[in-house]
Amino acid sequence: MFEWIAAHPYETIALLLVPAVPLLFFQLLPLLVVLERRGAAFIQDRPGPNRAGIPIPGLGFQLRAFGLIYNLCDFIKLAVKEDFVPRFAASRFYYVVGPFIPLIAGLILPAFIPVFAPIAYASGDGVAWLAGQGIASHSGLLALFAFAGLSAYGLVLGSWAANSKYALLGGLRASAMMISYEVAIGLAAAGMFLICGTFDLARIVAWQGEHVWGIIVQPLGFLLFTAAAFAESNRTPFDVVEGESEIVAGFHTEYGAMRFMLVMSAEYFHMLVAAALISTLFLGGYHLSPIPLPLGPDGAWVALDDRWMREHIGSVTAVLLIALALLALYAARLVERRRRHYVASGASDAARRGREYRFYTGLFLALAGLAGLAAWALWGWSEAPRIIAGTAVWGWKVDLLTAIVQFHILIAKTLCLAWLFVWVRWTLPRFRYDQIMALGWKVLLNAALVNLLLTALLVKLIG
Amino acid sequence: MAKVVPRPELDAWQRLYIGEIFKGLLTTLSHAARSLSDPAHFPTLQYPEQRPDIPRDYRARHRLMKRADGSPRCVACYMCSTACPARCIHIVAEESPDKHIEKRPARFEIDLLLCVFCGYCVEACPCDAIRMDTKQAVIVGDSRASFVLTKEQLLDWDPKDYPPDDVQSQKAPGGLLHEQALQELRSGTGH
Repeated sequence: MFEWIAAHPYETIALLLVPAVPLLFFQLLPLLVVLERRGAAFIQDRPGPNRAGIPIPGLGFQLRAFGLIYNLCDFIKLAVKEDFVPRFAASRFYYVVGPFIPLIAGLILPAFIPVFAPIAYASGDGVAWLAGQGIASHSGLLALFAFAGLSAYGLVLGSWAANSKYALLGGLRASAMMISYEVAIGLAAAGMFLICGTFDLARIVAWQGEHVWGIIVQPLGFLLFTAAAFAESNRTPFDVVEGESEIVAGFHTEYGAMRFMLVMSAEYFHMLVAAALISTLFLGGYHLSPIPLPLGPDGAWVALDDRWMREHIGSVTAVLLIALALLALYAARLVERRRRHYVASGASDAARRGREYRFYTGLFLALAGLAGLAAWALWGWSEAPRIIAGTAVWGWKVDLLTAIVQFHILIAKTLCLAWLFVWVRWTLPRFRYDQIMALGWKVLLNAALVNLLLTALLVKLIG
Repeated sequence: MAKVVPRPELDAWQRLYIGEIFKGLLTTLSHAARSLSDPAHFPTLQYPEQRPDIPRDYRARHRLMKRADGSPRCVACYMCSTACPARCIHIVAEESPDKHIEKRPARFEIDLLLCVFCGYCVEACPCDAIRMDTKQAVIVGDSRASFVLTKEQLLDWDPKDYPPDDVQSQKAPGGLLHEQALQELRSGTGH
């Protein structure tokens, strides 16, 4: 087996991508929880949860890691809580299975999203392609929608099995939301299918790299898709599936401990996938620039597509690393400002907290320094491709660096959109149930149809 | 008569909702940006490491004022316990060895679980013997008995925690005016 792996590195990577991409996305969940909690707090002019910390022996301070330690506490608490199945459950089996369905259906979704550009490699006499997604399928987006829709089954089954009217109402609402907004979300994306002429997410992303981002050719589609994606992931202002004032906690009223955590992580995971999907469809996926830039020889306008990226991979990485270094420097400045303010306030633990802030400042400065050094080392580096059967084949170094950079561009866009989800949640009040249905069927659906019609006309006229 | 609150009239742009959404998003973003960049912007405190500044006239835990020799200024006249609407002050009087003073408290207890912190006892006292200016707004105990303040607890305070121009507090042992007050007390003019 090891000989096969050594002889077929690209095929091995293709196999590994299927579990690796969803797991890499899963790593972002704690970050998302912190983003939600601290984002909510900052919007409401308060510091937010910042007390839980791990004491570091020898250094004399608690490592609080900007609230990340709370995830650990939550996990331990929920993991050791009693695994409770209500005596009145309608079906023990479906009660137990219910929360797993949304998470498992959700975990498949990132595998359909192209996280880097397809890589050409020499195979025998010809060229083979390593797809930049776990499951490369020509009907990728349709399969993604199908699996995303499956999660509603989990909610409905679980809520019915719990045998509580609040849970059942929440589950029914979840299914109603799924039916209403699945139509709008599909039609909103249809404009992009028409323009790119394919359902294949990899080719939609490649089209955006060669031309312009989807948001420029489909601004209305982007808006409708985003609104429908909010509804699909049951986020405010469409969060009727839960509602303290109406149906307690909705479909997960009767769930506790780890089952509750499964439900919640599935919800956040769907939000993350929705953000990644919006980035892929409308924000250029792993591409850098929304429009062609005058970066070619003699100031010619060139599209910053995958080929351009590989030709200039060293410099592109260097520019991104410098941006990262600047961000780290800004973060260090923010931390230092916080330290000064806290020490000046005369708090009783000012010395201890001061050491902790100093530690963070040091970390950010070290990160900035490392990023700067790497940028200096990488500037201008690239390798010339070999041409095999008319296709450019780059070496593994260029391929690896490009894949890593492209993946991080996508992740950065996804996190920005995740912030949009949080930001909207703490801005807008929730809609009433009838308002949601009216918006879904009377506004979004019709606007999506008009958008589709206009797009079809334009595509036919222009070519 | 029911008061009719008119619904605000929305114009066409506001009814479209989308523009108003972006206005709201700008509002929340400006708050988030300020919270991120300016820690002084939070109206919150990191309690208990940071404590709010409680003004001296805030009605907090009681204390008994002291003469220069350390004995309580209280003459066990029962005015405070009579004025108390919560009946939380319990005084047992005894004869005072000082020939100028008739009585002194043998016991002076305040049940903080009954106390409503109205300050009537302070108002009623003819001798400025009881005050509520300790700034101690949070009182913690692990049993009902621990919330009953004894005379010793009420007398246990340090003049250094009180402003130098608080004459009555500075006359107590350890205060800035203690020496002078002690001489006045011994010469018989200090009552």
